[in-house]
Amino acid sequence: MKTLPLGQFVPGDSPVHRLDPRVKILSALLLSIVILNAGLAESIAVTMFLLAAAALSGLSARRITEALQPLVWFFAILFCLHLFFTDGRPIFPALPAVTYEGLERGLSVTWQFVSLVVSAAILTMTTAPSELVGGLEKLLRPFNRFGVPSYDIAIMVSVSLRFVPTLLEEVERMKEAQEARGADFASGSLVRRLKKMATLVIPLVLCTFRRADELALAMEGRGYHRGPRTYLRELKFTRIDYAALFAVMAFLVGVEALRFLPV
Amino acid sequence: MIEARGLIYRYDPDDAPVLEQVSLEIPEGQYVAIIGPNGCGKTTLVKHFNALLVPQEGEVLVDGLSTKDPKAHREIRRRVGMVFQNPDNQIVGMSVEEDVAFGPGNLGLAPAEIRGRVGVALETVGMLRLAKRAPHSLSGGEKRLVAIAGVLAMRPAYVVLDEPTSYLDPAGRERVLNVLGDLRQEGISVIHVSHSMDEIVDADRVVVMSEGRVLRDGPPRDVFREADVLRAVGLNTPQVTELMWRLRAHGCGVRQDVLSVEEAFQEISALIATGTGCRR
Repeated sequence: MKTLPLGQFVPGDSPVHRLDPRVKILSALLLSIVILNAGLAESIAVTMFLLAAAALSGLSARRITEALQPLVWFFAILFCLHLFFTDGRPIFPALPAVTYEGLERGLSVTWQFVSLVVSAAILTMTTAPSELVGGLEKLLRPFNRFGVPSYDIAIMVSVSLRFVPTLLEEVERMKEAQEARGADFASGSLVRRLKKMATLVIPLVLCTFRRADELALAMEGRGYHRGPRTYLRELKFTRIDYAALFAVMAFLVGVEALRFLPV
Repeated sequence: MIEARGLIYRYDPDDAPVLEQVSLEIPEGQYVAIIGPNGCGKTTLVKHFNALLVPQEGEVLVDGLSTKDPKAHREIRRRVGMVFQNPDNQIVGMSVEEDVAFGPGNLGLAPAEIRGRVGVALETVGMLRLAKRAPHSLSGGEKRLVAIAGVLAMRPAYVVLDEPTSYLDPAGRERVLNVLGDLRQEGISVIHVSHSMDEIVDADRVVVMSEGRVLRDGPPRDVFREADVLRAVGLNTPQVTELMWRLRAHGCGVRQDVLSVEEAFQEISALIATGTGCRR
């Protein structure tokens, strides 16, 4: 079965799994603001926070590094760019491009991206996609009156997620059908292989439109209409959710306050 | 009751109509099979039953509500559930239970009520065990059952199924047909569009369509007796009916209107027991 590997939901029953998705979404959002403004002390605090969250979520270190793996090259390039292209005091007299300031910027920016990915991974690995969509919908609901169609956005997102595996299967089928007639997707240069892939794109787009057409009919047949609807699970904050949200906010405000401490 | 009166429909104004003067009444609780060769208008006809298509001429009434009135569409679609041919294109939810909850959610029901309906619907199709599964991880037959449950959660009085057993293995087909039998027991009308004559011999009524018209309409026994009429439009009869037909052509004294293996067995064993054999 083909699925997207990045940050895929890992079913479980940890305290982090059980939190209301809105708590997790808001925490990840607030955390990213702190991460993007972090200095050294904040970085250490946020790293400890992420480690604690990962430990509480019962996700193995391997799972989390797996989420980072596809981005390793991106991190490496990011680090090198900063290392070589930042002005400042050279570390090695023979290599004037590599500076202390570059090293510091490189480490800091790479850390920022790694932390963002890790916090997003903890969010998506501990929250079922449907819960994530439900949480998002409920967070957006107050903005209905300003013209944000929260219900329609939620349906769009959830239908897209629902069809990802179906479409991947379809691509696989088309590939096999073409290979059976002598197409060769495996050899040749990267450019050549990409060009060959174009023969998959057109039928895939056509098929997807046909699917969308039928899906629209089926949805209409089941009473779909724009605007308010109800759900199997109506999300509800428990005392633990309030406590967790409060704790996260208090912690992050505390971290931000570090900045103003005279050190 | 679903009533179609003088229904005419064409997809393109320049083309010949797909439906030409179709009139049909389906009372509540009846199990109706609709058969006909490809392109005879079966699917077009049943899409009129829940207002996915609106008649260009004539009218369709569902319990007295006209499908021409857009304000009645929501109620009509609640009463007439529709299961399409390809279950992959009608499953909306990211899990089985969420998909079944889609319809009730559109009705704006409270979560507790939705939960109850989802439970009952999944129980009816025997899929409660797989409630949390992702749709793409199901077999073809299971997807079909989820699609049926999704319609049942709307508590419809009529369920229309467009070739619900196509592409299924024998076990999956059996499960779907059993569920249709259960619906009938519960007093829900089943409108079953089919290509397989063998799976509709138990229907209350068989409607044969050809070139946009109703060719025959009656109990299966009467309809299948006229094997030559069916053959002329490219359909066949159930296998045992075909067997009886051949035996008769061979001069054997068997009944023509045999539909089940059991009946055929009795006819043939009577033939052997009396030793009359066949003249030829």
